[in-house]
Amino acid sequence: MLSVVRRVRVGPAAVRARHERLASYRTALGRLIVVAAFLALAGCNGGTVDRHALTKDGEAIDSLACEGRLLAHDIAAGRSTSRFAEVHSGTLRQRASNFEDALSERPTVAVIERDVRALARKAARLASLLEQLHRQPDDRASARRIELGLGEAGDCP
Amino acid sequence: MKIFSVALGILAAIGGFVDIGDIVFNVAAGAMFGYDLLWVVVVGVGGIIVYSEMCGRVAAVSQKAVFDAVRERVGFGAGLVTLIGAELTTLLTLTAEIGGVAICLQLLSGFGYRWLVLVGVVALAVVVWVTPFEWIERIFGYGGLCLLVFALAAYELHPDWGAVANGFVPSIETNDTLVFLFFAVGLLGAAMTPYEVYFYSSGGVEEGWTPKDLGVNRANAIIGYSLGGILSVILMIVGGTLFLLHGIEPESLATVALGAEVPLGTIGLLVALVGILFAVSGAAIDTVFAGAYNISQFFGWEWGRYRSNAGAPRFTAAWIAMLLAACAIVLTGVDPVQLTEYAVIFSVVALPLTYLPILLVANDRAYMGSHANGPIANILGIGYFVVIMVVAVSAIPLLIATNVGQG
Repeated sequence: MLSVVRRVRVGPAAVRARHERLASYRTALGRLIVVAAFLALAGCNGGTVDRHALTKDGEAIDSLACEGRLLAHDIAAGRSTSRFAEVHSGTLRQRASNFEDALSERPTVAVIERDVRALARKAARLASLLEQLHRQPDDRASARRIELGLGEAGDCP
Repeated sequence: MKIFSVALGILAAIGGFVDIGDIVFNVAAGAMFGYDLLWVVVVGVGGIIVYSEMCGRVAAVSQKAVFDAVRERVGFGAGLVTLIGAELTTLLTLTAEIGGVAICLQLLSGFGYRWLVLVGVVALAVVVWVTPFEWIERIFGYGGLCLLVFALAAYELHPDWGAVANGFVPSIETNDTLVFLFFAVGLLGAAMTPYEVYFYSSGGVEEGWTPKDLGVNRANAIIGYSLGGILSVILMIVGGTLFLLHGIEPESLATVALGAEVPLGTIGLLVALVGILFAVSGAAIDTVFAGAYNISQFFGWEWGRYRSNAGAPRFTAAWIAMLLAACAIVLTGVDPVQLTEYAVIFSVVALPLTYLPILLVANDRAYMGSHANGPIANILGIGYFVVIMVVAVSAIPLLIATNVGQG
């Protein structure tokens, strides 16, 4: 019984059906690859800054400003250590610089280009203030001034 | 004497519960959603208690650790797939923990990060090489108790305790459901991370647990993990009170330490950094051992810290290889916090492969005799396994859809 079934399955019709099935698998796989590539490109956004990316980058830059302000406040109040202040402000400065570079150079859609470049300048200003904090982690008077600057630069609650 | 021993074990479990994944996900979840995800921590801690008790019981009764059970229950082929998945996620986690060690050392000393990675790895290797097992557990567990400084910080930050209490009631009230779900999955993964059960069950075998120790096992699992879970809750409260209020998205361990500095000043900062250092160092050692335990148990090599390093040469070579591989990855400059997020999410995918064999063996009367799962253990075990399956299936799609929680 089993051999009959096998013979029937390997007949011309079965071979044709198998080829068709393979072809449909290949088509499905091809579509899957296209969809995956599309999703990957959508995720990376092709390097272009759109409104969504602008909003998200804006939030991240404000977060850096607010965190820098909190750190500067503690330094001004003598409530931090110079090592911690130096290292952490350096990390925040590096992130702000990365945003500055990316937003200055990445292509964008025309209608938001001015906003994107303005955000790049804001990131640059933050990076400059955080650099000062990084270089003078013991200077409480400078920290007070930088705290004000970061508060003005960032949209902190 | 036994009560004293249990108390020491529980103290070590509290300090040793929190690792870099818990720290990152709890504080970030608080900063993004306030206290709304506190209930997920409770669910996750419940899961790790259920399965740790189960695998500790299996270890005490059958003298078999997790990967002995995996090999015997699912066979070589499926077992090998499980082993590869477990080793990769354990290596990712170890890499993140070593990065965390170096960051803490840098924040305390100001020296260069890459040098401190090497210093950290050498220090961990020396500790693992020369320190007896029970002392490793205790030193890092007790050091991790410094994290309780965040309890004081949370109190000083004056959270809305009514809102905190509401956070323990399960709900999904948010404009960004996908990101909320991503964090929920991450919190579950951080609480139920597989290396913890590998380490726990192997430790039970190492310490020579017998059925007489089932009470100790239950006490360690229930009290230790519950109290350890409180640390996770405290970290989320700090995130929800300080960082949400100030519009800060925490992206580094330094930001977490700031959570103690702002309300408590320099002393708070230093104690927090020491606590994080001990917690991530302890977790790094747990993961090193977990990786070496898994591979040794699977291939039937001699294993265990109660043997000399020369007495279990392939086990020793395995943990040294894990440490070197993780060191090499960290030195590429990969961000440990980002790596943590990936490590936790990929661990979630591996959860069913880890927990199913435990559930099967704990139900097998041939192994367990009268200590096999009863109805309550089975209801909890199967219930949590369903949760684990849902979470495992949704983890990667959520990772992609939310751009790693960025929205």
